[in-house]
Formats: sequence, C-alpha cells, structure tokens
Amino acid sequence: MKKRVLGLFALFFALLLVSCGREDKGELTVYVGLYEDHAIRAIETFEKETGIKVSHVRMSNGEILARIRAEQNAPKASVWYGGPSDTFVQAKYEGLLKSYTSPNSSFIPDIYKDPEGYWTGIYVGSIALVSNRSWLQDVGLDIPNSWEDLLKPEYKGMVSMADPRSSGTAYTILATLVQLMGEEEAFDYLEKLNENVRSYTTSGSVPGRSVGMGETGVAIMFAHDALKFFKEGFRDLVITIPKEGTGYEIGAVAMISNGPDLEAAKTFIDWSLTKQAQEIGKHTGNFQLLTNETAISPEEAFYLTEINVIDYDHNWAGLNRAILIERWVEMVK
Amino acid sequence: MGRVKPIQELKRLAREPLLLTCIILVMASLFVFIVYPLFQIGRTSFFSVDGSFSVAAYKRILSGGNLLTALTNSLVLAFIVSILSTIIAYIFAYTIAYINVPLKKLFNGIAILPVISPPFVIALSAILLFGRQGFISNHLLGLQNANIYGLNGLILVQTLTYFPIAFLVLAGLLRSISPALEEASENLGASKLKTFISVTLPLSTPGIANAYLLVFIQSLADFGNPMTIGGNYTTVAREIYLQAVGSYDMQAGASLAMLLLTITMVVYAIQKFWVGKRSYVTVTGKPTSGRKLIDSGWLKHMMFGICFSLSVTVILFYILVPIGSFIQLWGINNSFTLDHYKYVFNLGQKAIVDTFTLSLIATPIAGLLGMIIAFLIVRKNFIGKKTMELVSMLSIAIPGTVLGIAYILSFNKAPLALTGTAVIIIAAFVVRAVPVGIRSGIASLQQIDPSIEEASTNLGANQSQTFFGIVLPLIKPAFFSGLVYSFVKSMTAMSAVIFLISARYNLITASILSQVESGRIGVASAYCTILIIIMIISLLILNGMLRLFGGEYDKKTKKTTNNPAGQKPLSM
Repeated sequence: MKKRVLGLFALFFALLLVSCGREDKGELTVYVGLYEDHAIRAIETFEKETGIKVSHVRMSNGEILARIRAEQNAPKASVWYGGPSDTFVQAKYEGLLKSYTSPNSSFIPDIYKDPEGYWTGIYVGSIALVSNRSWLQDVGLDIPNSWEDLLKPEYKGMVSMADPRSSGTAYTILATLVQLMGEEEAFDYLEKLNENVRSYTTSGSVPGRSVGMGETGVAIMFAHDALKFFKEGFRDLVITIPKEGTGYEIGAVAMISNGPDLEAAKTFIDWSLTKQAQEIGKHTGNFQLLTNETAISPEEAFYLTEINVIDYDHNWAGLNRAILIERWVEMVK
Repeated sequence: MGRVKPIQELKRLAREPLLLTCIILVMASLFVFIVYPLFQIGRTSFFSVDGSFSVAAYKRILSGGNLLTALTNSLVLAFIVSILSTIIAYIFAYTIAYINVPLKKLFNGIAILPVISPPFVIALSAILLFGRQGFISNHLLGLQNANIYGLNGLILVQTLTYFPIAFLVLAGLLRSISPALEEASENLGASKLKTFISVTLPLSTPGIANAYLLVFIQSLADFGNPMTIGGNYTTVAREIYLQAVGSYDMQAGASLAMLLLTITMVVYAIQKFWVGKRSYVTVTGKPTSGRKLIDSGWLKHMMFGICFSLSVTVILFYILVPIGSFIQLWGINNSFTLDHYKYVFNLGQKAIVDTFTLSLIATPIAGLLGMIIAFLIVRKNFIGKKTMELVSMLSIAIPGTVLGIAYILSFNKAPLALTGTAVIIIAAFVVRAVPVGIRSGIASLQQIDPSIEEASTNLGANQSQTFFGIVLPLIKPAFFSGLVYSFVKSMTAMSAVIFLISARYNLITASILSQVESGRIGVASAYCTILIIIMIISLLILNGMLRLFGGEYDKKTKKTTNNPAGQKPLSM
C-alpha cells in the first residue's frame, strides 16, 4: 500500500516538474486591450516569428492603467498592447511608461504617435451610434443619427454604453462630447442621457452585443466593434455616425516603465508596427483602420475622411482624463 | 484522552521528531495561508496608503453609497434565498423520508449536482430561458421586456443552486427522527397535520435553522451568479472584486471583505456552536425502526408533483447549457454550429491545460493534508491542537473573494512574493478544499479503535510507517472522497482564484467569466460543457484508480473495523 501511495505521489510530482520545466528563448508579459481573438492570434504569430514566449492578460483600458499603477514598484508586464491612446497619455504623465521610438515608427504618420515616443498608434477607430433595426421599427423610431436623438423619451432604459472608469471606449465618448459641446453642455447632455441609460458596462464593446440581442435599443461604441458583431450574425445592427460630429481613438502600443524583459518588449513593439502584424486584425474579424502607411486597412473600415470627425485632441483628452471621469462619477451618482 | 502537562508533552514530542516536524509544518502552513492573509486584510482596511491608521474606508462604506448598497443587497438576497431554499429542501427531505414515492434516487441525485457543477451553469441557463431572447420569456410568453438580470434572477438562480445544501442537512435529520413519537401522537388521536405541526416540525427545527444558515453563508459568498446575472443589483462579493481588481482600491476592497468575513463568521459560529449543538434527535437506544410511509392520498400526489417538477427544472437547467453551446446565436440565429467549440479549442486551450494541471497538483496535497490534520486532531495531543482545529475548520466559512483579496495583499512582496506563480493558485485550491477532507477524516478516525495503531507501534513500526501502513488504509474511504472533492472543487473554483490568475496562468472559470462579461453566451456554454466533460472523465478515472489501489485491503478493513462507508463530503 505504502509503495503504491508513494508511487502515486511520485507521479503527481513528476507531472509538476514537467509542467514547470519548459524554457524558451525569452519571455515577455503583455497587458492587452485588444479583442481576445485578435490578441491571441497576434501573439501566436509573434511567438512563431521570434521564438519569444508571451504571456498576456486581457483587460479593459482603465483596468490596465490601474494595474500598472499598482505594480509600478515591481512591474510584472513590459508591454501595453491596444486600447485608446487617451489612457496611455495619462499613464505617460504619471510616469508609468517608458519612451521608445521604434525604427518601424517611421511608417506611422505623426498624428498617430506621441512626439516623445511614449506611445505609438497601431489602429484608428471612431465612435458611432449602433442601433437595433427591428427594435426601432417596433417602437416606431427612425434610425438615430445625432447625439440629440438619444435623449428622446422612447429611449428610456434602452441606451447602453460602458463605464469610463474601466473602459477606454466610454472615455473616448466622454472626451468627444466635451470637445464637441464644451464641458458644461457636455455634462448637461450626459446627465439627461443618464436618464435613458440602462447600465454602464465594464467593457466598451459589450453594449453592441446587448443591442444585437435586443436587450437594449441603441449603444454608443466604436464602429469597428459593432461591425464585428454584425459579421458574427447580429444582422439587425445599424451603425450611424452622429451628424454633429464624432470622436475617434488611436489604439496604441507602449512600453511599461521599469518592466522586465526590455529587449523582448522592444522586439514586440517593433513587430506590432509592421504591416503584417497590423493586418492580422482583419483576418480575425476586427475592422479598425490601420496606422502603418503600407498596411492595407480592411475595406469595411470607417475612413475618417469619409465621416464627420471632430478635431479630437488625444493629448488633451489624456491630460484631463482623471478630472473628467471624477466629474462623471459624481454626476451619475 | 487525559490531559498531559505541557512539559511532559514537549518531552514526548521531542522523542518523536517526525511527529514534531509534521505538527510544525502543518501549523506553519495554516499560519501562512490562512491566519496571516486574514490579518493582512484587517491591516489594509485600517491603514491608508501612507501608513496612518484610519477608519475612513469603513466610514465610506457605512455612510451610504454603492458600497453600502452592495452590503444590504447581499443580506436581502441571502435572507430570501435561504428561506426559499429551506422550504424547498424541507419538501424534498420530507417526501423522501415520509412518503412512498417513486424516483427517490433521482431526487437524491439532484442534491449532488451543485457540488460538481461549475459556478455558471444555472445562471447561463437562466439567461437562455428568461433573457431578452430567452426561450420561455420571448418565445413561449412573448414578453418583449423580460429582465432576468437583477434581484429576481439572482433569487431564482441561487435558490436552484443552493437548496440541495439545505436538503442534505434536512434529509439526514428527518431520517434520524424516531417514528415512535409520531406514532404515539397519532395513537393519542391527533390528526396527521396536528402530528406534523406539534411533533415532526419541532423536532426538525434545529435542522431547519442549520440549513437556513448554511444557505445564508453560501448566498452571501456567491460570486459567479451575481457576476453573470446580477445586472445592476450589486452584491458584496462582486463589489470586493470590482474594487480590488477593477479599480485597485485595496482599502475599500479590504474593508468590504472584513465586513463580509465578520458577518459570515458570526453566522457560521451561530450555526456551529449554538444551533449545531441543539439536537432534538430522539435517542431511543434502539435503532430507528422503519417508518410507515404515507402511501396514498392527495398529499402524496402533491408532494411527488412538487419534487418531480423541481427535479425536472434543475435537470433542464443543466441540459440547456450543452445545447446552448451548439447554437449560433441563441434566439437570433438558432442554427447548429461548432464555432463556439472551435473558438475554445483555438483560443482557450491554455486555460484548459492550466486548470487541469493545477487541479491535479492540488488534489493529492489537499487530500493528504486533510488526513494528516484529521489524524493529528483525533489521535495526538500537543500544544496548539485546539487552535489548529479551530483554524482549519473555520476556514470553510471564509468566502472565496475574501480569501482571494487576502492573498493578493499578502503575497505580493518578498519574502512571500507568490503572486503570479502557480504556488498561490494551488494554495488557494488546497485551502478551499481541505476542510471537507479534515471533517470526513475526523469522522472516520473516531470510529476506528486506536489499538490497531498502537499494535503497529508496539511491533516496531515508526510514525510514518504506522500512518501510511495502518491509518491511511483504514480511513481510505474518507481519504479518497477527500481527493475527489478536492479535484472537483479545484476544477470549478472561481471566487478566490479569480484574484490570482495572471498572465502566466489562466483558468477555465476565469475564461467563462470573461465570455459572460462580453456576452458570448455560446462560447461560455461551450467552456462549461467542456469543463463538465473533463470532470466526468476524471472522476471516472479516479474511481477506477480507487478500485485498483483499494482492492487489496478492502476485505481486511471490513473485518477489523466498522467500516465508515459512504462518507459523504458534501455537506458544508
């Protein structure tokens, strides 16, 4: 008996050793703001091309910022991959990022990157109104095409968006409205909108699914996220750009200050700016505009030149992120 | 066992170095993985970031706002769910003990489901049935505005999840009530109803209280259901997670955790030391004679009807998830698809492998540790034994989210920088699973005469030979049920480990949660289905191994002892 029991345990511990014993060319930990399918496919490709082993966690952008801040004395991750640059700007001014100008950033136009190299844009996406066609028909409403439309009483409890504390998408919406209308008017608007909002979700893309499912009537979110849902089978989704004008995000990549694996982090960022890396998105159903001038954006993408975008100041948005979110929290309560 | 003076005790221990090492190791691990983390929560909740003492965080919670709402919401929910669960469980238990109905095996089997089920199954099914595109709400009733997310949904889901726990308590109690008193009552002319109200019901009050409190604790600590179906109805376990992981507000998280822990501990203490001690179980000195079961009348039909329809409902809830995993988009595009499984196998492999490996490592550790602690508590005398017993048993009442936040607070810096490693996840698995092993180990050992171990020692065997050669084989059923329980609990663990997963290790339950959060019910269902299949296969293999390893001394065991067969590790 004893021998058998010992044998059993020996087996378990052998398993333990085997599972711990793998070693690779280098290691890298990445915090990811991209869609999970996009992230995993991108990381697999990177691992194959470089032999560097990548661990990743997917979080919403505000969560990534909170985590990097909490870990600043002993950072666990070296790269922050994806999500609106506003949050990156705030992290830059908090000293959480490390400047790195990749040789490949020459392919990225200046408007899509930080002049000091703290973050570099990898994709662009704009905010849109996303509604459910059959719900609109049931209620007898036209497709909403302006911010003002969402304040109609018919939308009560049927509007959904994310919580700007956790979601980069939602903060882009908040910053867009403030830049479009001015701070006071924007908060007036948001207060009225709050009456119609059913719930504020953690992640920025979830509202699109709830509109697709018919749980809510209209979502404010990124157009490319809605497109992804449409392709997945939510054929009732209608995407419109508000006629007053809309804001856009620059999805970014950055190096985390004092992170481990500096060289691997550089390799990763260099790679993420390449044409090949950026084009992975469209093969996994992600339809952002790409920033690399040689990369071919998905044909479904919303080109900024074709829609009414405001002159969105990402640096301003990042600098004011903490203040605006605090005011928003006060207002929503 | 007589009291021995401390000095003599020490001398005796010094003669048994192996025992001494064992005690020290167990004590040290209990301290590091249970006492110290809880102490850290308390400390974090009382000291602000700059190191000064403040009760600001508690003030913030108790002065109102969403944190207080979360606390009161949880209490309201637990209050309602415990009442409903206890009533349903009583109906089940009464039917099985008092009425002659078919399908008793089925009704009993329902009680096992929540123990082995991943935390999301019932909530996911509730969404499939009652959500906006739900089968019942939308297609059968044609409701346009059904809202399962919130208090109502939580009550439904938690009641279905937790009534079996109450059932286990009540079934055992009703079985042990001697029919003699009830027969006496009826012989004296009381009607069946009168007998029930004045004899059976009073005799079962301690069990009812017990069941109520156990469900209350479970409901308070529940994390998976509120995350899935809570909607805007925030609860405390979920709020701890959002504060700690979402916004990294450790002080707020820790204070909430302290409040939750205090409430749970008080409820647990009431259950354990007050209600638990009151037993009206009738001692007659004779084995309980068979009860004459109610065999006809409207009562039989009604009770059978209730139990049957509830069982069918529970089973339906479990079947829906596998079905949902093959549907393209539930309610919108109901065509068959394998896409969700493709997604899981393409992108979720790592989580599956990690969960399986880590559970496999935690299982023998938890199983063996449980038996060693049980052995020390029942058979040995040493300083601190009472403490060891108390700490190891109380740990069962620590809510998972509390343990999770305690671990990130305790193990993020040297000398115990364990966050991000496998060790911390395994430790959480073990701590969550071991109390049940200890309990069944103690129950087993108490029925075994220590003279067999003494004989072994007298014949010259050392402590370790005696433990592995005599004790472990004797309490084999408890040991193996401890192993099975540990494995099942680790595979389905979420509330504690959700705090501990890192870039390096991911778990199936965490993947399910993130799919649920992003609304991909199909993929979440596919993950759940795979998890259930892995568990069933593993349990079958484990069972086979037990046969293989257990066969040779089975007969011996039965001859020498009252074999403590059928130890059920299920009750809390």
